[in-house]
Amino acid sequence: MMLASTSRIACPRHGLLIARSLHSSTSVLNTNISKGTSSATEPPATEAKSTVPSEILPPHPIIPADQISGAPVELRHRVVRIFQPAQNTMQSGPAKGSRWRIDWDVLQGAGRWENPLMGWASSGDYMQGTRIGFRSKEDAIHFAEKQGIFLVISGWDYYVQQEPVKRIPPKNYAENYVYKPNKLRIARTK
Amino acid sequence: MLRIAAGRAAARSSSRPIVNGRTIPGVCSSCSANRSARRNFSSSSSRQADITLTVDGKEVTVPQGTALIQACEAAGATIPRFCYHDRLAIAGNCRMCLVEVERSPKPVASCAMPAMPGSKVFTNTPLVHEAREGVMEFLLANHPLDCPICDQGGECDLQDQSMRYGSDRTRFHEITGKRAVENKDLGPLVKTVMTRCIQCTRCIRFANEVAGVEELGSTGRGNDLQIGMYVEKTMDSELSGNVVDLCPVGALTSKPYAFHARPWELKNTESVDVLDAVGSNIRVDSRGLQVMRIQPRVNDDVNEEWISDKTRYAHDGLRFQRLTTPLIREGDRFVPANWEEALTAIADGLKASGAQDNEIQAVAGHLADTESLVALKDLVNRLGSDNLILDQQLGDKAPVNGIDIRSNYLFNSTIPGVEHADVILLVGTNPRHEAAVMNSRIRKSWMHTPLEVGLIGEQVDTAYGYSYLGPDARALADVVAGKGDFGAKFKAAKKPLVIVGSAVTEHADGAGVLKAVAKLVQGHKAMLTPEWNGFSVLQRVASRPAAYDIGWTPSKAASQTTPKFIYLLNADEVDPKSIPQNAFVVYQGHHGDVGAQLADVCLPGAAYTEKSTTWINTEGRSQLGRTAVPPPGASREDWKIIRALSEVVGQPLPYDEVLALRDRMWEISPSLVRYDVTEPVTSDIALAGLKTLSSRTAGVAISGAPLKKPISNFYMTDPISRASVTMAQCTRAFVKGENYGFSEEEKTGQASYA
Ligand code: SF4
Ligand code: FES
Repeated sequence: MMLASTSRIACPRHGLLIARSLHSSTSVLNTNISKGTSSATEPPATEAKSTVPSEILPPHPIIPADQISGAPVELRHRVVRIFQPAQNTMQSGPAKGSRWRIDWDVLQGAGRWENPLMGWASSGDYMQGTRIGFRSKEDAIHFAEKQGIFLVISGWDYYVQQEPVKRIPPKNYAENYVYKPNKLRIARTK
Repeated sequence: MLRIAAGRAAARSSSRPIVNGRTIPGVCSSCSANRSARRNFSSSSSRQADITLTVDGKEVTVPQGTALIQACEAAGATIPRFCYHDRLAIAGNCRMCLVEVERSPKPVASCAMPAMPGSKVFTNTPLVHEAREGVMEFLLANHPLDCPICDQGGECDLQDQSMRYGSDRTRFHEITGKRAVENKDLGPLVKTVMTRCIQCTRCIRFANEVAGVEELGSTGRGNDLQIGMYVEKTMDSELSGNVVDLCPVGALTSKPYAFHARPWELKNTESVDVLDAVGSNIRVDSRGLQVMRIQPRVNDDVNEEWISDKTRYAHDGLRFQRLTTPLIREGDRFVPANWEEALTAIADGLKASGAQDNEIQAVAGHLADTESLVALKDLVNRLGSDNLILDQQLGDKAPVNGIDIRSNYLFNSTIPGVEHADVILLVGTNPRHEAAVMNSRIRKSWMHTPLEVGLIGEQVDTAYGYSYLGPDARALADVVAGKGDFGAKFKAAKKPLVIVGSAVTEHADGAGVLKAVAKLVQGHKAMLTPEWNGFSVLQRVASRPAAYDIGWTPSKAASQTTPKFIYLLNADEVDPKSIPQNAFVVYQGHHGDVGAQLADVCLPGAAYTEKSTTWINTEGRSQLGRTAVPPPGASREDWKIIRALSEVVGQPLPYDEVLALRDRMWEISPSLVRYDVTEPVTSDIALAGLKTLSSRTAGVAISGAPLKKPISNFYMTDPISRASVTMAQCTRAFVKGENYGFSEEEKTGQASYA
C-alpha cells in the first residue's frame, strides 16, 4: 500500500494506471477501486485530506537521479516494464530465476531496420539493447521511481508484470502404481 | 506449499522406526494401516501433515508425500535431472538426481524417493559428485558429440550438466563406435535425431498423460531401447510441439526452426497468444525484424507450461501475405498510397456513400485488440451509429446470451477450475480444437479422478472418453430431466460444469440450447454456489470477450439497417455476399486475406507480436501483450490508425496516447485494465444473468438442427495461420492425412538444410 500511494503522487497524470498495474494482488487493487476514483487526474479522496507537504514527501527517501544522471530527456516519456524473466522451458536449471528486469518497449516505426547488405539489424533506439537486472521487484520499482527531478519530474512510468504463477503439487513415485478401482484410463507405454 | 522452517524436527525424527538403517516411508506405514487412505493416495489434498528434514544442514518443512527432489529444491539445493519434470509423472530412470542420504548405503535417486521426516540429505559431497560424474559418463558414452550442428546447442541440459558435473576426460575407447538409432518421422513439426536420445522418457510421459497420444512409446531393452510410434505414423496431436521443449537433449527438435537460429542470438519478449481465446502466455523469440520462434511461459492459471502447435508454429505466417502500405482500389486493382491519401480517400468515401447514422457499420474480427475495438466503437458512436457487429454467423444480431452480465459469456469456472469439476457436460464444442491447452486439463482430471464427461454436438476425438448424448438441442432436455446414466450422474454431482461452446450462439438453435442450459443450471443446487460457478461459455476467438466487455453489439434498429459504409477491423471471416454492392468498404488488418479483397481502402495494421495491447481471454482475464518486433513497412499500431482517421473524418477522439486510451478503457470497465487477474462474478449476479437469459429465450422453439463443431481444421483458423507454411504442412499431414513429403526431403541428408 505504501508503494501504491507513492506512485500515485509520483505520477499525477498516469497515477491511476500505474497504481493499478503496480500490484498483482487483488486485495490491493480492490482498495484502489473502493475509493471510487474513476478519473486519473483526481487524487484519491482519502489522500486529498492530508496536508500537502506530507503527501509529497515519499515514505522512503527517493534520490532524484535524473538531476545528475545525464540521462536523455526522452527517457521520461517512455514506459518501462518491470518483470521477472520467464524460465526457459527448454531447460531445467533454475539459475537467474529470481532476478527482476527493467527494459524498454520497442519504438513504433523507427525502432529497427535491417542492413540490406549483411542483414544485420540496426536501431536508432539506444535503449533497444539495454536491460537492467535487479534482485527484487522492490529494487526495480525503486530504481524506476527515483529517475526524476525532485518535485518536478516524477520517476519513469512503469508497468509491473505479474510474476510467473507456479503451483507444483507434491509428487510421488508411488502414484504410478496406485490402484484405480474403475476402468483404467491410461495405457502407459513407457 | 513448500517452505523452510527452523527447528521442531529433531524430536519427531528420532521416534521414527528405523529398519536396516533406513527410515520407513511415512506414507506407506500410514496407508497400509488404513485401507481407505490408499484410495486417497493420489489426491494431494488428503496429505495435510508437514514433515521436516535436513538438506545440506538446512532444515526444510514440506508436505508429506513430497518427492525428495522437491524438498531439496525447497531448501535451495539444485539437483541436476533429466527425467524428472514438474508436470509429468515420475519415472526415475536417468539417475542424474542422485543424492546422499544419511545411513543409506548407496546414493538415492531423489526424484523417486519420498522425503522422509528427520532424514539428513547431502547434495554436495564427494560421493554425490562421483555418482553424478559416473552417470554422466554412461550417458555420454552413447551420445554423439555433435553439439556444433545440434539445434539444442546453447539450451541443452545434457550440454550444461556435462560441463558442470561431468568428467573432463574420456575413457571411451570402443572400436565399434557409438550406438546409432534410426530417426523417426513424427510429422512436419517435430524433428528427430534419435541417436541423441538419452531415454529419459519425458516425451512418452507427455504424450501418454497430457497429449493423449498413446502410441508414442518405447521398444526394446537396455542398449536397444528406442523411442518411437511402433509403426510408421506421425504424432497427431495439437500439443505435439511441447515434446521439443521437454526433450532435455537434441533428440526432438523443432522442424520448422531447424538450423535457423541459436538461442543466444534471440531477443526474448514476454507476450500473450491470440490464436485462440485461452490467452496462453508466450515468449516471442525474435532476431532482427523476424519472429524466429514462440515458446511457452509458465503460468499455472492459464496454460501451465504447454502451448498448442498453432500458437507455437503459426508465427511464420507473420512473414507472408502482409499488408505493408495503405492500398486504394482503382477499378479492379489496388494502388499503393500513403497514409494521407488513404485516410482522405476514406473520408471522401464516407461522404460519397451518403451513409448516415446506423448505415455506418463496424465489424470486429478475430484478431482485433481491445484498444482498437474501444477506439473504433468510440468513433462509430460519435458518427451517430450503433451498428457494431461481430465477424461470425448471426454476428449482425445482438448475441442470444446477452452481454449485460459478464458471466453470460465468460468461462466462469476459470481454466484451473476445470480440474475441480467432477462431471463435465460439453455442449456444442470441441475443446480440443477450440482451447487445446484447456483440453489437456480435462484429460488430466479425467485420468486421475473419476471425472465423467458428456458431450452434446458433433462427435469428435477429445483425447478422453465421454458419453455421447446426442447431436442436437433435444439431447439437453434429457440431462435437464436427469434421465439416463449421465443425467443421473450430473444430478448427483458435487461440482458439475457445463461448457457451452461459442458456436452455440452462432447456431439457429442457440437460444433453445441456452434456454435449456439456463434451466439446467438453475435447477441444480451445486451449480451456482459462492465457491463454484459451473456455467461456462468457452470462447474460441481472442477478441470476442473484449468485444462483449465493451458492449460491442448492434441496437435493434441498427441490425435492421443496410449499411452503406463498412469498416472491417481484422474481419476475415466475412461472407462476401453479406456486403451490399454499393457499400464503401474499409479493411484494417495485417494480412491480405478475405477481408482485404472486399475493401475499397486497405489500412495496414500490426499483428499481435508487433503491438503492445490488451487481450481478454475466455475467463475474462485481461493480459498485456508486448511488442517483439516493429510492424513491417508503413503499417502502424491499430488504435493509432483509428485515432488518425477520426481526425480526418472530423470527429477527433480525445486520446492521443495509449495511457489516455487505457484510462478510457478504465472508464468503460475497470476489469479491462486490471491486468493478470480474473474478476469472478458473484453467484447472485450470475443468477440474475441466468434469469435474463431465461427471459430472453422464453418461448423459443427448437428446430433440432444438429450442433456443428466450429473448427474443422485446427491448423487454419485465422489470417496468420492461413498464411503459414508450417500450418499448411500440418493440414496436409494431420487433417488430410496426405504424405506431406517432408520425410523424403530428409533422406537427402542434413546438409541440404544448412
Ligand atoms: S527423445 Fe528426448 S524426451 Fe524422449 S526419451 Fe529421448 S531424450 Fe527423452
Ligand atoms: S531425475 Fe531422478 S532419476 Fe531422473
